Amino acid sequence: MTRGTLIYIGQRIGLIVVTLLVVSFGVFAAVHSIPGNAFISEHLHGQDLKDVLHQFGLDRPIPVQYWDYLRNVVHGDFGQSFVIQGQDITPLVLRELSVSMELGGSALIITVGMGMLFGVLAAIRQNTWVDYTLTTFAVIGYSVPSFVIATLGILVFGLWLQDLTGGTVYYKIAWDGTYGTIGELWLPAVALGLYTSGQVTRITRAAMLDVIQQDYIRTARAKGLPSRVVTLRHALRNALVPVTSILGPLVVTIIAGSVIIENIFGIPGLGKEFVRSITAHDYNITVAVFTLYAALIGVANLAVDLVYTAIDPRIRY
Amino acid sequence: MATAITAPPLPQQEYAGGTVAREQVSLWVDAWRRLRRNKLALIAVFYLGLLVVMAIVALFWTPYNPNKLGVCDTYATPSGAHPFGCDESGRDSLSRLMVGTQVSLIVGLGTAFMVLVVGVTVGLVAGFFRGAVDSVISLIINIFYGIPTLLVALVLYTLLGPGLLNIMIAISATVWMDMARLVRGQTLSLREREFVEAARASGARSGKIIFGHIFPNALGPIIVQATFVIPIAILTSAFLSFLGLGVPPPQADWGGMASEGVAAIRFVTHIVMFPSIALSITLLAFNFFGDGLRDAFDPRQKR
Repeated sequence: MTRGTLIYIGQRIGLIVVTLLVVSFGVFAAVHSIPGNAFISEHLHGQDLKDVLHQFGLDRPIPVQYWDYLRNVVHGDFGQSFVIQGQDITPLVLRELSVSMELGGSALIITVGMGMLFGVLAAIRQNTWVDYTLTTFAVIGYSVPSFVIATLGILVFGLWLQDLTGGTVYYKIAWDGTYGTIGELWLPAVALGLYTSGQVTRITRAAMLDVIQQDYIRTARAKGLPSRVVTLRHALRNALVPVTSILGPLVVTIIAGSVIIENIFGIPGLGKEFVRSITAHDYNITVAVFTLYAALIGVANLAVDLVYTAIDPRIRY
Repeated sequence: MATAITAPPLPQQEYAGGTVAREQVSLWVDAWRRLRRNKLALIAVFYLGLLVVMAIVALFWTPYNPNKLGVCDTYATPSGAHPFGCDESGRDSLSRLMVGTQVSLIVGLGTAFMVLVVGVTVGLVAGFFRGAVDSVISLIINIFYGIPTLLVALVLYTLLGPGLLNIMIAISATVWMDMARLVRGQTLSLREREFVEAARASGARSGKIIFGHIFPNALGPIIVQATFVIPIAILTSAFLSFLGLGVPPPQADWGGMASEGVAAIRFVTHIVMFPSIALSITLLAFNFFGDGLRDAFDPRQKR
């Protein structure tokens, strides 16, 4: 690792910090400006409501509240839930993050694995029925909304084939703290990953077609290397570069998709929590989840760019 | 001085050496010729045309009142009188599906228009003026790329309150960056070209150069990008509706209908089926159309 690389990493981390500050303040200001609040009810109104708001400091100007919030965050305290009495947010969010990471990670593996396999197959069988089938499948993949795929899956595997699967595609409503097993997780992960796999297929196919025409591939073939070796070791390695470049946006798309998928399957992850918190005015959770996702995306993008230099030595920072 | 001044002979109408030169065609004619060869894109255009007709018909006529409760039995399966069945409130699903077309098309086209205006303006400004302006705009674009899109739309829509226009604003806020980045890149490369230099040398002002010279030359990729915004916007609005944050009831829209159908999936499947199919085929059509358009406008680009 050269000095230039270190400076580059430093700059990127700086950008991530700036992003997190801007984003968290934006969300903070936005959710606090949504009309209504978490405490309003039949039993609590008038002066009593004002007292409760004052107790939580919610009657102060938004920048002041944000500054207070930020000070607590620096000490690792994301505040308390307004809706669930006495629930600290930090452990709640961390637990839900582990669930979402498990789902999102599985989806990422499915999406990259399937996408690259299909992309390579389509490229080496260019303009045959294999190619046409796989590219059409890719377009269908990113045209059919994930909730449609999820619903179809629930219908087929959860209801019609209930005897075979035992209907395990639903999570229990009250999550008891264990991670989802592969039996429970595969359908949500496929429903989540199918959308992005179409994009990976297209990028891989285009990149492979580009690489296959180049001279060194012809040289490798002329030397008598088996086509499997040429495809996997010579062509695919260079086709990886453009595929890597969309990994960052892929993470963003998977996070967005997981909000839908978690709500359909009742998976107790960050996405489900986010939707609940925003409709319940549970501000602290909304801000925490949002900022956490922004941090995750920032780190993922940085990691992708560093991997980039590793697989393509021409790129230097 | 009686010699009359004769006009110089008119240039000959036809090129004397025969018609060697390629016939001059505009960008549009050229693109249309290539698009016509793409069967998949043509089918998509045909389907989308039907969809527009359906949306317009639904303005004046639907088989039943789409919002009237109890026009048939709740959860009634498809029959002759109600070909697409009925939902959990006894509303006719076909009527609601037809009205839902309007929502999808308005959200798709409206968002694409907003993204077009914002993205093109921002991109042109950043690319043309470069320097500090570009740095600030690029930083903003980068920040927007670093946040999960659907969450932004959710927060923004909750903040703005229910309504069709607010849905479009919320979605535009999450997808404008691609357009801005594309236009910025195009502008950066076009502003160095000779014809821009010539325009500048002949005294054209910045505004004239930007909108008279750079923008028209970037039009092809801009249109393609705008076309791809439409399915994304329709999809995102369906997601919002699915999470219960869509157009306010009783207005029918496909995402909301699918969401109602999922709740009833243990009893009947037709409620979730029809809006899901409609949504999928429409998104597929827009994507095929966008692909065809991209190939038509930029034949050099590899697929």
